[in-house]
Amino acid sequence: MSDTVRAVSESTPETGARRIAEEARERVRFEEEVLELADQVYRVARRLVSSREEAEDLVQETYARAFRSWRSYTPGTNLRAWLMRILTNLNIDRGRREQRAPTTQPLEEGDYYLYNRLEAEAGSEDEERIVQRLSQDGIVDALSAVPHDFRDVIVLVDIGDFSYQDAAQILDIPIGTVMSRLHRGRRILKGQLAEATVAEGA
Amino acid sequence: MIDPCDKCEEVLQPFLDRELNDAELREAEAHLDECSYCRKRYRFEEKLRMYVRQACAEEMPPELKAKLAALRTPLV
Repeated sequence: MSDTVRAVSESTPETGARRIAEEARERVRFEEEVLELADQVYRVARRLVSSREEAEDLVQETYARAFRSWRSYTPGTNLRAWLMRILTNLNIDRGRREQRAPTTQPLEEGDYYLYNRLEAEAGSEDEERIVQRLSQDGIVDALSAVPHDFRDVIVLVDIGDFSYQDAAQILDIPIGTVMSRLHRGRRILKGQLAEATVAEGA
Repeated sequence: MIDPCDKCEEVLQPFLDRELNDAELREAEAHLDECSYCRKRYRFEEKLRMYVRQACAEEMPPELKAKLAALRTPLV
């Protein structure tokens, strides 16, 4: 069938109505899938911003926009990444970059700095025990102290469970930048944790 | 303190993030097999990552879920 013939035949009232019904079904399906991801979206949002209220607002804005622009999602592609891109863009638009700069430069040491510090403190060789010296609140605080650019990639990869490739697309940065920010961000995180642990023990 | 093993500095992160290809993965595993220094630190990093994930597993407030559902396009 040529395009012209198809265009004419599809414009009959009957096929038009069918198309509308089909689109409504597609939209409902899309909305349900998006809602199923809410827990994961919230978990990432919660660590990107500093308060629970902000996280709730951000997730609501993300969902409002996702529902509005559902046609721009290509079925079969990564829906979670699509949603997360809306979320991170909104978060940047909200001017979170204006947030005050940390008064102290985050500590950044070698990859094994935290391990070496904790091992010395714990006097143990058991990795499980060593890691348990860290408190969960301490981890959350340390993560909040990591500057945004670095924290975004840590949150997407470690908490959102996204691949480097997905994180690169979500943040619209090259994959090499994802890797270097991740590396540096984790060093900062571990530096913070080491300082907090030593301060706690003192 | 200077890390004595540059090799691990380079492959530890993509290894832990499961981003190495098969050949790189085999190479990293072979290295960990023979380097106890890196092995201990690798295990620590793995546990730390799990710990970070657990610490950040905050539940979504149930009322937020209802608010999100309410944002859906009304069926006409």
